[in-house]
Amino acid sequence: MKNIHVGRLLRANIRGCVAGCQVSQDFPDFGALVVIPLGEQFKIFGLVTDIHIDDDGLVRQLAAAENVPDEVIQDNRLNRNIPVEMSVIFIGHARGETISHCLPPHPPLSLDSMLECSDELLCAFTGAGRFGYLRHLLNAEDIPTADLLATHLSQAGNAQAAAGNSSWLTDATREVITLLRDDHATLSGVLGAIADIMPAQQTKNLGAIK
Amino acid sequence: MMMPNDPTLSATQSIGYVVGGGLKENLNIRLTIPAQKVLEGSFIVVESGDWLFYGIATDLLLGATDPRFADEQSGARLPPQLANLLHGQTLFTNLVMLPALMLEQGPDMDSRHYSAWRAAIDAGEKEEPRPLPVKTLPAHHSPARLAGKEDIAQIFGKPEEKWNFVIGTTREQNHPVCVNMEKLIQRSAGVFGATGTGKSFLTRILLAGLISHDRASVLVYDMHNEYGLDDTASDTGQNVIGLRTGFGRSKVQLVGLGSSASIRGTRPDFNLVFSYSDILPEDVELLTRELNLRETTPATLEALVHSFSPAGWFKAFREMKVDAVVDEDGRQVPAPGSVADWANENGINEMAAKALHSKLKRLFNKEYLVEQPPTDSFQDLIEVLKKGKHIVLSFGDFETDLDYLLVSNLLTRKIRAAWGEMTNQFRAHDGAEPRQLVIVVEEAHKLLNREMASQTTFSTIAREMRKYYVTLLVIDQRPSRIYDEVMSQLGTRICGWLGDDDDISAVLSGLSGRDALRGMLARLQAKEEVLMLGWGVPMPILVRSRRYDQDFWKAVKGAKREDIDMNKSINTLWPG
Repeated sequence: MKNIHVGRLLRANIRGCVAGCQVSQDFPDFGALVVIPLGEQFKIFGLVTDIHIDDDGLVRQLAAAENVPDEVIQDNRLNRNIPVEMSVIFIGHARGETISHCLPPHPPLSLDSMLECSDELLCAFTGAGRFGYLRHLLNAEDIPTADLLATHLSQAGNAQAAAGNSSWLTDATREVITLLRDDHATLSGVLGAIADIMPAQQTKNLGAIK
Repeated sequence: MMMPNDPTLSATQSIGYVVGGGLKENLNIRLTIPAQKVLEGSFIVVESGDWLFYGIATDLLLGATDPRFADEQSGARLPPQLANLLHGQTLFTNLVMLPALMLEQGPDMDSRHYSAWRAAIDAGEKEEPRPLPVKTLPAHHSPARLAGKEDIAQIFGKPEEKWNFVIGTTREQNHPVCVNMEKLIQRSAGVFGATGTGKSFLTRILLAGLISHDRASVLVYDMHNEYGLDDTASDTGQNVIGLRTGFGRSKVQLVGLGSSASIRGTRPDFNLVFSYSDILPEDVELLTRELNLRETTPATLEALVHSFSPAGWFKAFREMKVDAVVDEDGRQVPAPGSVADWANENGINEMAAKALHSKLKRLFNKEYLVEQPPTDSFQDLIEVLKKGKHIVLSFGDFETDLDYLLVSNLLTRKIRAAWGEMTNQFRAHDGAEPRQLVIVVEEAHKLLNREMASQTTFSTIAREMRKYYVTLLVIDQRPSRIYDEVMSQLGTRICGWLGDDDDISAVLSGLSGRDALRGMLARLQAKEEVLMLGWGVPMPILVRSRRYDQDFWKAVKGAKREDIDMNKSINTLWPG
């Protein structure tokens, strides 16, 4: 499976970026792992932490109008001037084949392409190192940490299990608990989100060990 | 109850890692296995660098990274697997280890430093590593494991080594634990435990070990006639082999108190009878409580000795009458040769003398006290002990405290004097080295309590240690009633279950780490587990004691035969 182009960067810093895309195009789900290639050798990885659709003047008028025809609504949705915006938190980078879970040394530039990672790249990134990238999610402010972690673990856990690494989900969850065990409130929220988001079949795999 | 004995938990498998502690406050080990697989009293080894640290588990504590994780029953809120992961990371058990010894194990054998380390030892530049009292600590996160057979052998010795006697096994892994008989007899020792905790069986095991190793002669004051001949176990109804039966007459002699003593219908090998002249005033003063003597007694006894000599006072006093005669004036006056007559002549209160005479009547008629014993049975007893045999002195029908106190103290005083004389001759190069003697005292608190201790020979022996080649093995169920000064002198203490706080304190008196060991004594399993501690053992250890049965005797006799065969082989190879 290939990495899919999902948008271009609007703004960025070392910790994250916001990318935009058309409504008509497929854009990644909340919690998806995305990659921003910078030249041949360098990539920045991030997780989609938010997807937002801003209004414009016409949308406001239409929202207040009565009996708006369907064609007008569809036209406004698909041909709007303001893109769908995706907030991304950076969680690592790669130089050549070497994956690092540290923040990138410099941010990407505007209009750089952003791709949704294939399962293969998702497995490679999440399987590298010892879950160091989780600290970026735990330290970030103004992101829905619990749901983001739960969604990410579910997505990555499925990909890893499909690749034959059924213990990944157990190890990752254990790492999350270890990192949050002194923060009862956050950990309770994360575990509650995992229990809500993960299908029952997947939580059964939580006991799997290498 | 069988204790967990998980065969999957090997000696090399880590049970946890060090997370804190200190020399004063013990070590904390975070368990990485279920708490039920390790029990209080387990022998634990911590490996840290080139050193091994040995200790015992004295407590297990439940903990949580945040108390709220312990408070909440998250299993009801989360899927079971997720809840398990949470509990595994946030709820834990800490094992408290009382560190006792440390041993340098040197660099890893595959390491390039090992050969240099070994060469330094072989060249005498460095001491051969041996267990030392713990003086430093293992590093954080040092792995801990249960002691293996080699660890037990390293600290307590191997069963096949000379003087080592297997007293029992470790509880978890059944590794044999030895007591060094040579060290055991160097100082007085004690066996303690509440009634019904297997104290007598443990004592039989220990005595069988002492006798089979033959490093010392043993004299047992068998107040209740339970050690010499076979007995029947009160709980199981099974036959309990006596020491005399087990070792035979050539090794263990049965001595009966009194000229016509019979122990459960069996005639003893010889009878112990004392002469009146053996009784000294201090023997009587020792019985103050038993005879309800008055404070005037010492003065009366002193006057008796003054009048009739130390050897003759008892006989003379016994023969005095209490009659009165009517004089010429019709008044009643003391008859010549009466107690009152003697008292008046010697300025002693007549009533005090009469009261003492009346109370000593309980002694005057004792069968084991005669004017002229047919043989010198005390000398016979000494000779038997000097020859390396062992004696069980059975009190037969004389089971009262009065008999026990009088005879045991009288005999011990005479033995102490005899051994003292032999020791002095030996030191003056005028005689052979005395044979080491262990006197086994049951119901020791009757002889070694605070009031009596200063008056009896027992406390002197306990204090002198091996100076005169005599030590004690005291057996008691109320160690708190034994005088502190005597308790503190006991080298080896082997203790079964105790419930009373004062008794527990007494057993642990003078030992380091007693606070940590206190709870363990109260939670020992009766009839199975004992705690060995004190100077005579390298470190405190909880032991599941051996079964005193036919297999035990087969093992004891087998070991003896092996010794004999080895001696025979040595003599054959190197005659002369």
